[in-house]
Amino acid sequence: MSQYQSLVAALKSLTQGEAPATVTLPMAENGWNTRPDTESYGIVSLDFEADAFWADDRKKDIVYEGSADLFSKSKNGAGWVQLITETLTAYCDGCWSLNSHTYERDTGLFHWEWTFEVTD
Amino acid sequence: MPYEMKVDGMAEISDMLEKMAEQAQGVASQAVYVGAGIMAEEIRKGAEGIKTAPFKYAKEGTRLPSPEEKAIVVAAGAGIAKFDKNGTEVSTSVGYRASGYAELNGKKKPIPLIVNSINSGTSFMSKQPFVRKAARTGGTKAMAAMRDKIENAFEEMIKK
Repeated sequence: MSQYQSLVAALKSLTQGEAPATVTLPMAENGWNTRPDTESYGIVSLDFEADAFWADDRKKDIVYEGSADLFSKSKNGAGWVQLITETLTAYCDGCWSLNSHTYERDTGLFHWEWTFEVTD
Repeated sequence: MPYEMKVDGMAEISDMLEKMAEQAQGVASQAVYVGAGIMAEEIRKGAEGIKTAPFKYAKEGTRLPSPEEKAIVVAAGAGIAKFDKNGTEVSTSVGYRASGYAELNGKKKPIPLIVNSINSGTSFMSKQPFVRKAARTGGTKAMAAMRDKIENAFEEMIKK
Protein backbone atom coordinates (compact mmCIF):
# COMPACT_ATOMS: atom_id res chain seq x y z
CA MET A 1 0.00 0.00 0.00
CA SER A 2 2.68 2.44 -0.96
CA GLN A 3 0.39 5.28 -2.00
CA TYR A 4 -1.57 4.92 1.21
CA GLN A 5 1.58 4.80 3.29
CA SER A 6 2.92 7.93 1.67
CA LEU A 7 -0.40 9.66 2.20
CA VAL A 8 -0.40 8.66 5.86
CA ALA A 9 3.18 9.85 6.18
CA ALA A 10 2.22 13.16 4.60
CA LEU A 11 -0.77 13.59 6.88
CA LYS A 12 1.37 12.67 9.88
CA SER A 13 3.95 15.22 8.82
CA LEU A 14 1.27 17.84 9.43
CA THR A 15 2.15 17.46 13.10
CA GLN A 16 5.61 18.87 12.39
CA GLY A 17 7.26 21.51 10.30
CA GLU A 18 4.57 23.29 8.36
CA ALA A 19 1.89 22.87 11.01
CA PRO A 20 0.88 25.78 13.21
CA ALA A 21 3.56 25.82 15.92
CA THR A 22 1.29 25.71 18.93
CA VAL A 23 -1.03 23.00 17.64
CA THR A 24 -0.45 19.30 17.20
CA LEU A 25 -2.59 16.94 15.21
CA PRO A 26 -2.44 13.44 16.71
CA MET A 27 -3.05 10.99 13.89
CA ALA A 28 -4.22 7.38 14.11
CA GLU A 29 -3.28 5.17 11.21
CA ASN A 30 -5.81 2.71 9.78
CA GLY A 31 -7.82 2.57 12.91
CA TRP A 32 -9.67 4.58 15.39
CA ASN A 33 -8.42 6.04 18.62
CA THR A 34 -10.04 7.33 21.75
CA ARG A 35 -10.54 11.08 22.02
CA PRO A 36 -7.20 12.74 22.72
CA ASP A 37 -7.42 15.75 24.99
CA THR A 38 -6.43 18.25 22.31
CA GLU A 39 -8.14 21.06 20.42
CA SER A 40 -7.87 19.14 17.16
CA TYR A 41 -7.01 15.61 16.12
CA GLY A 42 -7.19 13.47 13.01
CA ILE A 43 -7.74 9.92 11.89
CA VAL A 44 -6.78 8.37 8.59
CA SER A 45 -7.98 4.92 7.58
CA LEU A 46 -8.63 2.53 4.73
CA ASP A 47 -12.31 1.78 4.90
CA PHE A 48 -12.79 -0.97 2.31
CA GLU A 49 -11.60 -2.43 -0.97
CA ALA A 50 -13.40 -0.46 -3.65
CA ASP A 51 -12.22 -2.14 -6.82
CA ALA A 52 -9.55 -4.43 -8.24
CA PHE A 53 -8.13 -5.34 -11.59
CA TRP A 54 -7.83 -9.08 -12.18
CA ALA A 55 -5.03 -10.56 -14.22
CA ASP A 56 -3.64 -14.10 -14.40
CA ASP A 57 -6.35 -15.20 -11.97
CA ARG A 58 -5.00 -12.84 -9.35
CA LYS A 59 -6.06 -9.50 -8.01
CA LYS A 60 -3.85 -6.67 -9.13
CA ASP A 61 -4.04 -2.93 -8.67
CA ILE A 62 -6.44 -3.03 -5.76
CA VAL A 63 -8.21 0.27 -5.20
CA TYR A 64 -9.10 1.17 -1.63
CA GLU A 65 -11.51 3.77 -0.45
CA GLY A 66 -10.19 5.49 2.61
CA SER A 67 -11.02 8.46 4.73
CA ALA A 68 -9.33 11.23 6.64
CA ASP A 69 -11.18 12.73 9.56
CA LEU A 70 -10.56 15.93 11.43
CA PHE A 71 -12.14 16.64 14.79
CA SER A 72 -11.69 20.15 16.07
CA LYS A 73 -13.15 22.40 18.73
CA SER A 74 -12.52 25.28 16.34
CA LYS A 75 -15.29 26.13 13.89
CA ASN A 76 -12.78 26.63 11.07
CA GLY A 77 -10.64 23.63 12.02
CA ALA A 78 -7.74 25.75 13.36
CA GLY A 79 -6.05 25.79 9.97
CA TRP A 80 -6.06 22.00 9.59
CA VAL A 81 -8.78 21.92 6.95
CA GLN A 82 -6.60 23.73 4.44
CA LEU A 83 -3.51 21.69 5.31
CA ILE A 84 -5.34 18.39 4.98
CA THR A 85 -6.97 19.30 1.66
CA GLU A 86 -3.62 20.49 0.30
CA THR A 87 -2.01 17.22 1.36
CA LEU A 88 -4.79 15.14 -0.19
CA THR A 89 -4.54 17.14 -3.42
CA ALA A 90 -0.79 16.57 -3.55
CA TYR A 91 -1.24 12.80 -3.21
CA CYS A 92 -4.37 12.09 -5.16
CA ASP A 93 -5.58 15.16 -7.00
CA GLY A 94 -9.15 14.64 -8.16
CA CYS A 95 -9.75 11.47 -6.18
CA TRP A 96 -10.92 12.88 -2.88
CA SER A 97 -13.96 14.76 -1.71
CA LEU A 98 -15.39 16.24 1.45
CA ASN A 99 -18.01 13.65 2.33
CA SER A 100 -19.38 15.07 5.54
CA HIS A 101 -19.10 18.11 7.80
CA THR A 102 -20.99 17.95 11.07
CA TYR A 103 -21.06 19.37 14.58
CA GLU A 104 -21.29 17.10 17.62
CA ARG A 105 -23.40 18.77 20.25
CA ASP A 106 -22.39 16.22 22.91
CA THR A 107 -18.67 16.91 22.63
CA GLY A 108 -18.56 20.39 21.06
CA LEU A 109 -16.39 19.06 18.25
CA PHE A 110 -16.66 19.91 14.55
CA HIS A 111 -16.06 16.90 12.31
CA TRP A 112 -14.82 16.91 8.71
CA GLU A 113 -14.63 13.66 6.77
CA TRP A 114 -12.81 13.47 3.45
CA THR A 115 -12.92 10.28 1.41
CA PHE A 116 -10.22 9.31 -1.06
CA GLU A 117 -9.20 6.47 -3.35
CA VAL A 118 -5.72 5.00 -3.39
CA THR A 119 -4.16 2.02 -5.11
CA ASP A 120 -1.86 -0.43 -3.39
CA MET B 1 -20.99 1.16 -66.12
CA PRO B 2 -22.44 3.14 -63.24
CA TYR B 3 -23.85 1.29 -60.26
CA GLU B 4 -27.21 2.34 -59.10
CA MET B 5 -27.45 2.92 -55.35
CA LYS B 6 -30.78 3.16 -53.67
CA VAL B 7 -31.93 3.41 -50.10
CA ASP B 8 -35.49 2.50 -49.41
CA GLY B 9 -37.55 2.33 -46.21
CA MET B 10 -36.16 5.49 -44.64
CA ALA B 11 -39.66 6.62 -43.81
CA GLU B 12 -40.06 3.59 -41.54
CA ILE B 13 -36.73 4.23 -39.82
CA SER B 14 -37.59 7.88 -39.44
CA ASP B 15 -40.93 6.96 -37.84
CA MET B 16 -39.18 4.52 -35.53
CA LEU B 17 -36.60 7.09 -34.46
CA GLU B 18 -39.36 9.60 -33.85
CA LYS B 19 -41.18 7.06 -31.71
CA MET B 20 -37.96 6.32 -29.78
CA ALA B 21 -37.40 10.02 -29.15
CA GLU B 22 -40.96 10.38 -27.87
CA GLN B 23 -40.53 7.46 -25.49
CA ALA B 24 -36.94 8.17 -24.44
CA GLN B 25 -37.84 9.91 -21.21
CA GLY B 26 -40.17 7.10 -20.20
CA VAL B 27 -37.50 4.50 -20.91
CA ALA B 28 -34.90 6.52 -19.02
CA SER B 29 -37.26 6.79 -16.04
CA GLN B 30 -37.82 3.03 -16.03
CA ALA B 31 -34.05 2.47 -16.14
CA VAL B 32 -33.39 4.91 -13.30
CA TYR B 33 -36.12 3.24 -11.26
CA VAL B 34 -34.47 -0.16 -11.73
CA GLY B 35 -31.02 1.22 -10.84
CA ALA B 36 -32.28 3.07 -7.80
CA GLY B 37 -34.02 -0.07 -6.57
CA ILE B 38 -30.75 -2.00 -6.75
CA MET B 39 -28.91 0.74 -4.86
CA ALA B 40 -31.60 0.86 -2.16
CA GLU B 41 -31.39 -2.92 -1.74
CA GLU B 42 -27.58 -2.80 -1.43
CA ILE B 43 -27.87 -0.11 1.24
CA ARG B 44 -30.48 -2.20 3.08
CA LYS B 45 -28.10 -5.18 3.08
CA GLY B 46 -25.35 -2.91 4.39
CA ALA B 47 -27.57 -1.63 7.19
CA GLU B 48 -28.32 -5.21 8.23
CA GLY B 49 -24.58 -5.70 8.75
CA ILE B 50 -24.03 -2.77 11.14
CA LYS B 51 -22.18 -3.95 14.25
CA THR B 52 -23.77 -2.88 17.52
CA ALA B 53 -23.20 -2.71 21.29
CA PRO B 54 -25.38 -1.46 24.16
CA PHE B 55 -25.93 2.29 24.16
CA LYS B 56 -23.87 4.67 26.28
CA TYR B 57 -23.49 8.45 26.24
CA ALA B 58 -20.50 10.22 24.68
CA LYS B 59 -19.15 11.25 28.09
CA GLU B 60 -19.01 7.57 29.10
CA GLY B 61 -16.46 6.76 26.42
CA THR B 62 -16.27 5.19 23.01
CA ARG B 63 -18.98 2.95 21.68
CA LEU B 64 -20.57 1.18 18.71
CA PRO B 65 -24.02 2.06 17.40
CA SER B 66 -26.72 0.70 19.70
CA PRO B 67 -29.14 -2.03 18.57
CA GLU B 68 -31.91 0.63 18.75
CA GLU B 69 -30.02 2.93 16.35
CA LYS B 70 -29.48 0.05 13.95
CA ALA B 71 -33.16 -0.93 14.13
CA ILE B 72 -34.17 2.65 13.26
CA VAL B 73 -31.85 2.70 10.24
CA VAL B 74 -32.95 -0.73 9.01
CA ALA B 75 -36.64 0.09 9.46
CA ALA B 76 -36.31 3.46 7.72
CA GLY B 77 -34.68 1.93 4.64
CA ALA B 78 -33.07 4.00 1.94
CA GLY B 79 -35.61 6.03 0.02
CA ILE B 80 -35.70 6.99 -3.65
CA ALA B 81 -36.19 10.71 -4.23
CA LYS B 82 -38.64 12.21 -6.71
CA PHE B 83 -37.25 11.90 -10.23
CA ASP B 84 -35.76 15.00 -11.77
CA LYS B 85 -36.64 15.03 -15.48
CA ASN B 86 -35.13 17.35 -18.02
CA GLY B 87 -35.72 16.09 -21.55
CA THR B 88 -34.05 12.71 -21.83
CA GLU B 89 -32.00 13.37 -18.68
CA VAL B 90 -33.59 11.64 -15.71
CA SER B 91 -31.98 11.51 -12.28
CA THR B 92 -32.75 10.74 -8.69
CA SER B 93 -30.93 10.10 -5.45
CA VAL B 94 -31.06 7.16 -3.07
CA GLY B 95 -30.54 7.59 0.64
CA TYR B 96 -32.01 8.70 3.92
CA ARG B 97 -32.33 12.46 3.31
CA ALA B 98 -36.11 12.50 3.72
CA SER B 99 -36.38 9.72 6.30
CA GLY B 100 -37.87 11.91 9.00
CA TYR B 101 -37.44 11.48 12.73
CA ALA B 102 -37.27 8.58 15.16
CA GLU B 103 -37.53 8.33 18.92
CA LEU B 104 -34.20 7.43 20.50
CA ASN B 105 -33.61 7.39 24.27
CA GLY B 106 -36.66 9.55 24.85
CA LYS B 107 -35.68 12.17 22.26
CA LYS B 108 -36.70 12.71 18.67
CA LYS B 109 -33.68 12.51 16.39
CA PRO B 110 -33.45 13.02 12.62
CA ILE B 111 -32.81 9.66 10.97
CA PRO B 112 -30.33 11.15 8.44
CA LEU B 113 -28.19 12.27 11.40
CA ILE B 114 -28.23 8.77 12.92
CA VAL B 115 -27.22 7.33 9.54
CA ASN B 116 -24.46 9.90 9.13
CA SER B 117 -23.04 9.20 12.59
CA ILE B 118 -22.80 5.48 11.75
CA ASN B 119 -21.56 5.96 8.19
CA SER B 120 -19.00 8.68 8.91
CA GLY B 121 -18.35 7.96 12.59
CA THR B 122 -18.08 10.45 15.42
CA SER B 123 -15.43 11.29 17.99
CA PHE B 124 -16.95 8.58 20.21
CA MET B 125 -18.07 6.03 17.60
CA SER B 126 -15.95 4.38 14.91
CA LYS B 127 -17.29 4.67 11.38
CA GLN B 128 -19.05 1.85 9.52
CA PRO B 129 -19.36 3.26 5.99
CA PHE B 130 -22.21 1.02 4.88
CA VAL B 131 -23.77 3.58 2.51
CA ARG B 132 -20.48 4.39 0.75
CA LYS B 133 -19.70 0.68 0.48
CA ALA B 134 -23.16 -0.07 -0.93
CA ALA B 135 -22.74 2.71 -3.49
CA ARG B 136 -19.54 0.99 -4.62
CA THR B 137 -20.89 -2.53 -4.80
CA GLY B 138 -24.31 -1.54 -6.07
CA GLY B 139 -23.10 0.99 -8.62
CA THR B 140 -21.78 -1.54 -11.12
CA LYS B 141 -24.85 -3.76 -10.78
CA ALA B 142 -27.19 -0.79 -11.12
CA MET B 143 -25.40 0.49 -14.23
CA ALA B 144 -25.60 -2.94 -15.91
CA ALA B 145 -29.29 -3.32 -15.05
CA MET B 146 -30.07 0.18 -16.34
CA ARG B 147 -28.24 -0.49 -19.59
CA ASP B 148 -30.15 -3.78 -20.03
CA LYS B 149 -33.45 -2.04 -19.36
CA ILE B 150 -32.77 0.64 -21.99
CA GLU B 151 -31.53 -1.84 -24.60
CA ASN B 152 -34.49 -4.17 -24.05
CA ALA B 153 -36.99 -1.33 -24.25
CA PHE B 154 -35.63 -0.10 -27.57
CA GLU B 155 -35.36 -3.64 -28.95
CA GLU B 156 -39.05 -4.11 -28.17
CA MET B 157 -39.84 -0.87 -29.98
CA ILE B 158 -37.92 -1.97 -33.05
CA LYS B 159 -39.73 -5.33 -33.11
CA LYS B 160 -43.18 -3.66 -33.04
